[in-house]
Amino acid sequence: MHRTVLIGLDGVTFKVLDHLAGRGDMPFLARFRKQAVRGALLSTPNPFTPPAWTTIATGRTPGEHGIFDFARVTRVDGVPRSKLATSRDVAVETVWSLVSRSGGRVNVLNFPLTYPPRPMAGNLVPGFVRWRHLRHSVHPPELYQTLCSLPGFDRKELAMDWDLERKALKALPRGEYEDWIRFHHRRERQWMSIVRHLDENDPADLLAVMFDGADKLQHLCWRFIDPDLVPAKPDPWEERIVELCRDYFRQLDRFLEEIVERAGHEARVVVVSDHGFGDTDQILYVNAWLAREGHLAWSGDATVRDDDQLNVDGHADPSSLFDWNRTTACALTAGSMGIYIRQAARDGEPGVRPDAYASYRDRLVHGLLGITDRQGRAVVRSVLKREEAFPGACADRAPDLTLVLRDGGTLSVVNSSEIVRARAEVAGTHRPDGIFLAAGPGFRRGDSVGPLRIVDVAPTVVYSLGLPVPVDFEGRVPGEILDRAAAPPVVVGGPTQEPVAFPEQANETLEADEEAVIMRRLKALGYVG
Amino acid sequence: MEQIKAPGEPPSSLARDDLVRDLTEILEDLTSDWDTGFSGSISAETRLIADLGFESIDVVHLIVTLEERFHRQDLPFQALLMRDGRYVSDLRVADLSRFLEQNLAA
Repeated sequence: MHRTVLIGLDGVTFKVLDHLAGRGDMPFLARFRKQAVRGALLSTPNPFTPPAWTTIATGRTPGEHGIFDFARVTRVDGVPRSKLATSRDVAVETVWSLVSRSGGRVNVLNFPLTYPPRPMAGNLVPGFVRWRHLRHSVHPPELYQTLCSLPGFDRKELAMDWDLERKALKALPRGEYEDWIRFHHRRERQWMSIVRHLDENDPADLLAVMFDGADKLQHLCWRFIDPDLVPAKPDPWEERIVELCRDYFRQLDRFLEEIVERAGHEARVVVVSDHGFGDTDQILYVNAWLAREGHLAWSGDATVRDDDQLNVDGHADPSSLFDWNRTTACALTAGSMGIYIRQAARDGEPGVRPDAYASYRDRLVHGLLGITDRQGRAVVRSVLKREEAFPGACADRAPDLTLVLRDGGTLSVVNSSEIVRARAEVAGTHRPDGIFLAAGPGFRRGDSVGPLRIVDVAPTVVYSLGLPVPVDFEGRVPGEILDRAAAPPVVVGGPTQEPVAFPEQANETLEADEEAVIMRRLKALGYVG
Repeated sequence: MEQIKAPGEPPSSLARDDLVRDLTEILEDLTSDWDTGFSGSISAETRLIADLGFESIDVVHLIVTLEERFHRQDLPFQALLMRDGRYVSDLRVADLSRFLEQNLAA
């Protein structure tokens, strides 16, 4: 296989990267741009980390891969209930699996929805897992002890602290910014030390590593990162925060350089982000609106919050916020931007009857589009119906409606005295436009192309490795990124395989596939007739 | 696990003992490096939160571990773990084993 590196930069935009490269803060990126083909990368209709990275990892849209949020929502007697989504909720095969059963090896670091690990040939350290569970989350299991022996390894820094992440989504007092930013500097160093270790001790045909610190910093510090928002006359504290944020990107630049150098001149390198970023200045308390309009009744637990809280505290079931005898529509998590409609399980039971579903949903859409802020501006730019936005075998897992807000901002699920509240400080929020850069043999050099689709990343990576592109991938290898004179032809191969439910079954499949690969090789060498 | 009774059948003490032993092993393995200060040995009466220092996200991971171990993704853990939308704070190993006993054969 042709050695390939996939570098993920969560939430990174060309606007910030180009600005920092132009200032001299990212000198490697400035050089790399001249060797690479680049284009904006359009994210999933819901531009969020779980669906978008899963599309990158599978070549399938959310309606097919089934991931819409960090939570998986199922309906019990018509009532939507959420629980943590895991790798088992990914309904299609990943690139990691595809490469493994094609006889290659993969090292996968920090991708979401990879816990619990599915069998593969190579090494996997999942992202977004709490430190207490890292030991049981890596693949192969013995890798954990090796990680612990790496100089400076700290599992608490490497792993995800959900409570801390949620806290920073609201806002932090000034005194906590520095620690938060420095934590993400250190966290990326942890991941980089694993990259080094694997490169030196167990290199793979495909290295896929994701750095997610930019997303975390930008949510809180966008006004110190976006070149249009950086204070013209910063006070000493603001100046320090701006520099710390730039330090993050300076370090990232050094890591990019090291990874590309380690891969060697013949390797192909693909750098992508899952979505872009922009500013937001308000929060929509959509459940408060649903309550005001008679679609939702709060339970006794749902106290009115007057801060910027987006989700329920801890990992309580957000369904507990509502009186389900009197609730027909609700938002469960901020991360999906979705509204779920409670459908009546049986005649006479609470919920929307199947024959009234379409008209009920249309009424909701109409009402949502009419929400305005204090300036009279429409807050909801569009409302996506699930069968239109997320067609596929898993469309029924999607929220009935997905909101796109005026400023790309987010909603809150908690109770509030206001429907729309201005944020105390401008924050960062997701936008659809991410980044795509590809360099190496066969890719154009120094050119820009029109927008690419996020679903094109997986086929490009598979092609880069020299493998046939599965016929059921939804994206394509964009011809415009290839140097036609030097690029090998795109070969379309058979379909992906269905993921199996449990590792033992997957092992059997993998072993059977490996056997088939060995047999093919032996035949090719003439040892077997 | 072969000795687990179907729902409605009288519980077999052997099956229950097996489950408690399995759960004990799983929990000892899961929590061995948590630095929670728990110094006793895990038994049927051990409480996940008060004794082992579980937090709600740890309960979620325990469910995943149990589902992987028993090859089931459809066990109604919600009914066991949630009360009024919050994780119950006094869940014991014995409660988990009783739940698994009642539901694994279903």
